[in-house]
Amino acid sequence: MIDMQQLSFRYESAQGNALTDITLHIPRGEFLGIIGPSGAGKSTLLSVISGVIPHHYTGDFYGACVVNGMDTVEVTPTDLSRVVGSVFQDIDAQMVSSMVEDEVLFALENFGVPAKDLDSRVEEALATVGIANLRHRSLDTLSGGQKQKVAIAAVLAMRPQVLVLDEPTGELDPASSQAIFRVLRTLNEQGTTVVVVEQKIMLLSAFCKSLCVMDRGSVRLHGTMREVLAHPELLREIGVNCPRVATLHEQLLAAGLSAGPVPICVEEAKAMVEGVLA
Amino acid sequence: MKGMLQYVHGNTILHKVPPLLKLLIAIAICAACFSTRSLLVLLALIVLDVILGFIGNIGRQTLRTLCSLCKFSSIIFVLQIFFVTQGNALVTLPLGVRITDEGLRFSAMICMRLIGATLPLTVMLTLTRLPDLTRQLVKVLHVPYKYAFAFTTAIRFIPILARDMAAVIEAQTARGVELDGNFIKKLRLLLPLCVPLLVSSIRKIEAGAISAELRGFHLRGKKAA
Repeated sequence: MIDMQQLSFRYESAQGNALTDITLHIPRGEFLGIIGPSGAGKSTLLSVISGVIPHHYTGDFYGACVVNGMDTVEVTPTDLSRVVGSVFQDIDAQMVSSMVEDEVLFALENFGVPAKDLDSRVEEALATVGIANLRHRSLDTLSGGQKQKVAIAAVLAMRPQVLVLDEPTGELDPASSQAIFRVLRTLNEQGTTVVVVEQKIMLLSAFCKSLCVMDRGSVRLHGTMREVLAHPELLREIGVNCPRVATLHEQLLAAGLSAGPVPICVEEAKAMVEGVLA
Repeated sequence: MKGMLQYVHGNTILHKVPPLLKLLIAIAICAACFSTRSLLVLLALIVLDVILGFIGNIGRQTLRTLCSLCKFSSIIFVLQIFFVTQGNALVTLPLGVRITDEGLRFSAMICMRLIGATLPLTVMLTLTRLPDLTRQLVKVLHVPYKYAFAFTTAIRFIPILARDMAAVIEAQTARGVELDGNFIKKLRLLLPLCVPLLVSSIRKIEAGAISAELRGFHLRGKKAA
């Protein structure tokens, strides 16, 4: 679905590369989490996928990024947006309207969806993220979590095949964060490819299928959740928190008590501990 | 907190008047303010604005706006008073500065015009849902969508900027900057803060523009259905 070949990018006014020699293949139906310290190039990577780089932010672009057969350098971000839906970090800044319904309608009207379908498409998008009841509300009366869901719904209305999100839970409490990721999981199960940048490793390990760890513009680790979490020392060196279940596994391993695969959720950790105690 | 120019929901007759008509009424009141020279008429227009505010169930807010407008225009009043030298001198100050009856009248007129012309616009914008206004601008007046969108976005950004400014002020107060002093002192402390505010708002606008582009903004109008 998304194929990056030896991709490097340097922002026009910057000294060093924001992305260095990235080769990454994201298959259709993937649920990929991207994590890394700030300045690792996570947001830049998402901007490349959505075509904002190199069309909006210019600079030296080497290599290629192909999304659904389209080279992102050759087609416009608007064309790409028929396939890729992007949700940015700043929730307020990306709103184009003051009402929930209009926010979702914006893309539909732009893409010329027939008038008779508008109502059902809005309904569908809002229902998918579970906020059908907020349809007629004004945006400035909503909580952060609700606004984030509106932002996702506004993009979902276009029925994108790929959804990229930049720290969608950045300003949210744990309960709302979980809710957003549950929405993402549902979408992924329905066939949408999801790429999400997130700082909370527990959320990623609980929901994503695979994980990509970035550091200083490069991909350091990429694989299934279990494969990546099997390298706790490298994660610590990069500055990424290791989930406590993985740390526990590491300690048991060091003490010679466990040899199984690294657990990625509390249930698996419980089974592991019970196995050790037995 | 309800910010300036933010839509206030309601069910009054003014909420139901078509947005364009409301805009027209507001502009008519503005025009009237600038075409009259009578202080009494100006006073009547300001009272009319306030009454409109009360009809729209935003009376308290209207009075608050009126109050801050009065504060602002009192500065203009004081400045203006010394620049008009025609008419009979009421007070003569040293250095040949005199306050005349004509000057007093003229300053009052300028200030009341300012208040009378600003108030109806704020009342109307508070009582109108922006998307409705955009839609009517495009449909009835055939304003190109791009311009209508820019117009509503600009208005939508005012409360966002006000909120950001409040946040900056709060942050500075938390770091020990005393912003309670007199007006000049406050202004001197606030001016440098405008730079980060400007930078952050340009970033916000850019993010908004990208977000609009990624949702097909440029397609609008190309294939008008």
